[in-house]
Amino acid sequence: MENIDDLINQLAQDAKAVKPAPHPYMLSLKWMGAAAAYLMLSLVFSGLRPDIALKLHQPWFVIEIATLGGVFVATSLSAALLSFPDMHQMRRLVFAPVVSFVLFVLVIILAWQADSPPAPLPVHSFECTISITLAALLPAVWTFYAMRKFASTHTHWAGSIALLSAFSVGALWLRLHEVNDSIRHVVEWHYLPMIACGLAGLWLGKKILKW
Amino acid sequence: MRQSLAGDQRAYAELLRETSRMLRPFLTRRLSFESEVEDLLQEILISIHKARHTYDGNRPYKPWVYAIAKFRLQDYLRAHYADHLRHAVELSELEESLPEHVTETAISYESISGEVKKLPEKQATILQLMHQEGYTAKEVAEKMGMNESAVKVAAHRAYKILRSKLER
Repeated sequence: MENIDDLINQLAQDAKAVKPAPHPYMLSLKWMGAAAAYLMLSLVFSGLRPDIALKLHQPWFVIEIATLGGVFVATSLSAALLSFPDMHQMRRLVFAPVVSFVLFVLVIILAWQADSPPAPLPVHSFECTISITLAALLPAVWTFYAMRKFASTHTHWAGSIALLSAFSVGALWLRLHEVNDSIRHVVEWHYLPMIACGLAGLWLGKKILKW
Repeated sequence: MRQSLAGDQRAYAELLRETSRMLRPFLTRRLSFESEVEDLLQEILISIHKARHTYDGNRPYKPWVYAIAKFRLQDYLRAHYADHLRHAVELSELEESLPEHVTETAISYESISGEVKKLPEKQATILQLMHQEGYTAKEVAEKMGMNESAVKVAAHRAYKILRSKLER
């Protein structure tokens, strides 16, 4: 008991006024704004796919981009909530990525079925995964750096969601940059690696978000 | 907490005292020894201090505190059991060899029962069940609602204490 009292006195002496962390909505908006700016800059430098005007008239492409954007928004919000020990007492919203991800998978399945006859596979393969990883690197580092300033009590999930968020930015960039209509290629070399990286985030989160 | 965040040290100290009073029963129910409760409570208070900027005073305080306490408790138990399970492998060998040593040196349970009674209650009960009543570690675990490894660890600790006392 004496130790506890001593500790409390020490902590109280050390307690200076602190600025409360921003609300998770504000935090996620900030992250999304930064990621959107990064995505636009990347597209300015790398260039939009030449057939973008045509693609924007194809419903499945538009829905795919919209749902991928949904995954990005949901994961950003969830990552912001997971940065707080009590998830800001908005537990349900933390599961938002599940809804957006189910929608996304559904769209991909339907788009795959609609891809008849199948579009030809591009000659490249793993280069796409590498490009997405490189594009996602900066958002991932930035998100983890920002999350470390808080105190997550769900470090595994926080890491996974943060990586999914970063990789969804990378996947969005490549989908808007690369001329490729093969949904099979997109699933194999864009989205499955994105999910794999999200799973790797379970381990990474535990390591990086430790406090 | 709002006053504490604004830098009011007295309010903060009072809040931490109140928090430790609130958390003590929570930890006591989940841990076996008072020393563990003390250690973990200290760790939780430090964590609350480190994470205090993540609480804004606009939402209930208890869920925030308990989220941190549960997180630290899980961490502690994970590390604690991982450590003890490592020892448990060696302990199974120790457990097999120990009765032989006792007979070799002509030490019976009865001759050291006085020392056994001075052990913490749980350890004394485990030794009594294992060496006086002849239960195996597994049976003791079932009887006391504990994990077999935890029984072996507690027995090992008790043996160590007894050995150091008898060697004196």
